Amino acid sequence: MKSRKWLVQVILIAAVLLSACGQTGGGGQEPVVLKVGWTGAPDTLNPAYAFLTESFTIFDLVYSALTTQAVSGEYVGNLAKEWTHSDDGLTWTFTLNDGITWHNGEPFTAADVAWTINAIIADPDGWAAVSNYTANFVEAAAPDDQTVVITLDTPVGNMEYRLSWIYIVYPPDFEVFTTPEDLQNFTNDTPTGTGPFKVTTFDKDLGVLVMDTYPDYFGGAAKIDQITFQTFDNSDAMVQALKVGDIDMVIDVPQSAFATVEGFENVKAVKTEGSYFSELIINSAPADFDPAPNKNPALDDPQVRLAMAYAINKQDLVDAVLQDLGVVGDTIVPPQLGGGFWHNPNVQDTPFDLTKANEVLEQAGYVAGADGVREKDGVRLEFRLQFPSDNPLYPRIADLLTAWFKEAGIKTTPESVDPDSLYVQMTPAGDFDLVIWGWGPDPDPDFILSVMTTDQFVDGGWSDSGYMNPEYDQLYLDQQVTVDRDARQAIIWEMQEMVFNDRPYIVFWYEDLLRAYRSDRFTGFIESPLGIEIYQSMLQVEPVQ
Amino acid sequence: MNPRWTLLKRNLLDFWQTFRRNRMGLVGAFLVLTAVLAAVFAPLLSPYTPTETMRDAGGRALTFAPPSVHAPLGTDDAGRDVWTQLVYGARISLTVGFLAGFIAMFIGSLFGITAGYFGGWVDNLLMRITDVLLVIPDLPLILVLVATVRQLDLKVSPLVILVLVIGLLYWTSTARLIRSQVLSIKERQYVYRARAIGAGNWHIVRRHILPQIMPLIVANTVLILSTAILIESGLAFLGLGDPTQPSWGTMLNFAFDRNAVTNGAWWFYLPPGLAIIWATLGCVLLGNVLEEMLNPRLASHHLEGEQSIVTHPPAPFPAREGGVAKSDGG
Repeated sequence: MKSRKWLVQVILIAAVLLSACGQTGGGGQEPVVLKVGWTGAPDTLNPAYAFLTESFTIFDLVYSALTTQAVSGEYVGNLAKEWTHSDDGLTWTFTLNDGITWHNGEPFTAADVAWTINAIIADPDGWAAVSNYTANFVEAAAPDDQTVVITLDTPVGNMEYRLSWIYIVYPPDFEVFTTPEDLQNFTNDTPTGTGPFKVTTFDKDLGVLVMDTYPDYFGGAAKIDQITFQTFDNSDAMVQALKVGDIDMVIDVPQSAFATVEGFENVKAVKTEGSYFSELIINSAPADFDPAPNKNPALDDPQVRLAMAYAINKQDLVDAVLQDLGVVGDTIVPPQLGGGFWHNPNVQDTPFDLTKANEVLEQAGYVAGADGVREKDGVRLEFRLQFPSDNPLYPRIADLLTAWFKEAGIKTTPESVDPDSLYVQMTPAGDFDLVIWGWGPDPDPDFILSVMTTDQFVDGGWSDSGYMNPEYDQLYLDQQVTVDRDARQAIIWEMQEMVFNDRPYIVFWYEDLLRAYRSDRFTGFIESPLGIEIYQSMLQVEPVQ
Repeated sequence: MNPRWTLLKRNLLDFWQTFRRNRMGLVGAFLVLTAVLAAVFAPLLSPYTPTETMRDAGGRALTFAPPSVHAPLGTDDAGRDVWTQLVYGARISLTVGFLAGFIAMFIGSLFGITAGYFGGWVDNLLMRITDVLLVIPDLPLILVLVATVRQLDLKVSPLVILVLVIGLLYWTSTARLIRSQVLSIKERQYVYRARAIGAGNWHIVRRHILPQIMPLIVANTVLILSTAILIESGLAFLGLGDPTQPSWGTMLNFAFDRNAVTNGAWWFYLPPGLAIIWATLGCVLLGNVLEEMLNPRLASHHLEGEQSIVTHPPAPFPAREGGVAKSDGG
């Protein structure tokens, strides 16, 4: 292991020296290299068993899927040129683009697509990273080289979204694996794909990934010759590297450094709408639930929840904690999803108004005691306010909330808890009052909506509020099988409103997506809420003349 | 009663006379004392509370603001006054350090005295336990322990966990030191005589051994304090402290997480770093000087005295004389 690492280092140094020689001697012919810095790294380049966002960033450049999300948020064709579905929504027929080839020069055919999809259907354990996208798939067939037919057992409302995550792999690379374990252990360090770039080196220990442009890419070759990804252990070091020009681009600029990066010379800091949100979780598990929740019963009073909503100054949270790098949030479906198509714009957010908060509690019968804490029938408005210990923003939020709540006669005690034990404490034990936490939703609203369903409040489930509403659960099932986009939108809008009014969550904000690049060296990036690193953007990037 | 008090008073006066002539000791005492005073009088030293966000006229939070009249050490990533956090942070850092130090001292003394005094299998057992703890690398062990205990969901503050883990792990050197001292004291003539006239173990330990090793315990406690403060800061910096309570380590943790370096906010990370140096340096200086003054083994005249015993075995008299003369000279 050690000797191999050594060898790679020597090769890299040699490569750097050689390229330096080329630059001095060649004159005008030196390769154009885009150097990207990030603080993460792919867990593996095997699409069957990769779980980190970084892996999917690489797959996006190396592999292709039938569909892809356009910067507008809508789904468009990638490998597929066009597609239709039968009236019952159970049969989908895709026609592929012409002239697609694998990185090794072999022609790409519909049989490769069918093979990948059928492999996932047949071995969901081995393909654990993507098998949820083939739920309800029966089989895929390739009647000819240009046509793929997928049959389903129930209609799927978000078919194009699901297919955009299924990267079509080169069957000879994957056919050899007979057990799920073998497939999971495959590292696939030099993947064979159909995308615009081809990985030549991936060294996890050094945190280096190098990819060359694939000249025969069916969508037209990229205008740069090579992309290198360098992992940084420390975000300060990464930002400094961008400042001095050691790297050309940064994925995920830390929020607290963004203002400084904006001031760098020759650097363009890019801020776009993002989907990550943070929220106050209010224990909504019903008292008769098994196991019985341990919470302050006052939390079940909608008036108490309303008062808390009035007592939160979301704009101040965005200013002071998020350093203005986000927007005030309201529903659980961020406006970034689907280019704004899924977010319900008609929800009226509760304004910050401490007088109103006090009025609401006064009218509901909560009277302030000697210490200023309100109570009714012996129940004091005194809550635990917990948050996971791995996020530096949450203690800041907790202190601000505590100060505002105090003005409304609500006493909260902030407490930092290990994230794993906090999860165990919440789901499905329900042993909490208020918790600050956040989500990074999928591009399709299905996932974030599932978080509020009753059957997710089980051990290992996604529900952390204990919200249970049969009407909501039914709507969730309806939207899953509604293929018509507008009809699905109407259902999803209704669901958001329901959750907003019942307040299992009070959403604080939607965080901006932060990127930066050297504007003195490269131009042409597509600045969209999907990030400047998506393949569509990388195809446009060119060196500054 | 009365003569004992006057004796104590005279001893203390003597002690002070010697101590005040030691410049290092005075500096150490000054550093420790100022840190303790800052912790005790924190609310008087700052007009703000540590969680208060400072705002401009328009109500917007002043994040990463450089030092000014209103905030002498600037503000942090959430617009809080760094000076306020520093003095309130002294409370947490010193409390954790002191409590952990005292626990370590208590366990160390208990183990050391028991092992040294009783000897035999008791000594063997206790010292093997000590050895096992000594050979395990401190920091990895403490990190694993704190992280694991926090996952147990014990419903106690992370600070209590820190105090207990540091206190229960950092007593080994003390135990060894005290044991060796007790081994030598228990062989002295007066201990044999006390036993001969029927004194029990408890009486001998309490009246004859403890007073002899008390100075050593005091000096060692002060030294352990510096270690405990450092460890607390280290763990808090790594995110294992209590983020709802400002301590110097927690401040550094936030400064690191929130890119204070990139923001050029030196006023956010330098003060807590210097405060840690301030307090630990104070403890080390004070501890070393106390140890020198109180531990007879470290004083040079004893070594010389012993040397003369070796070179002139049959003549203990001049050696004793020399010892007396030198000890008067300080």
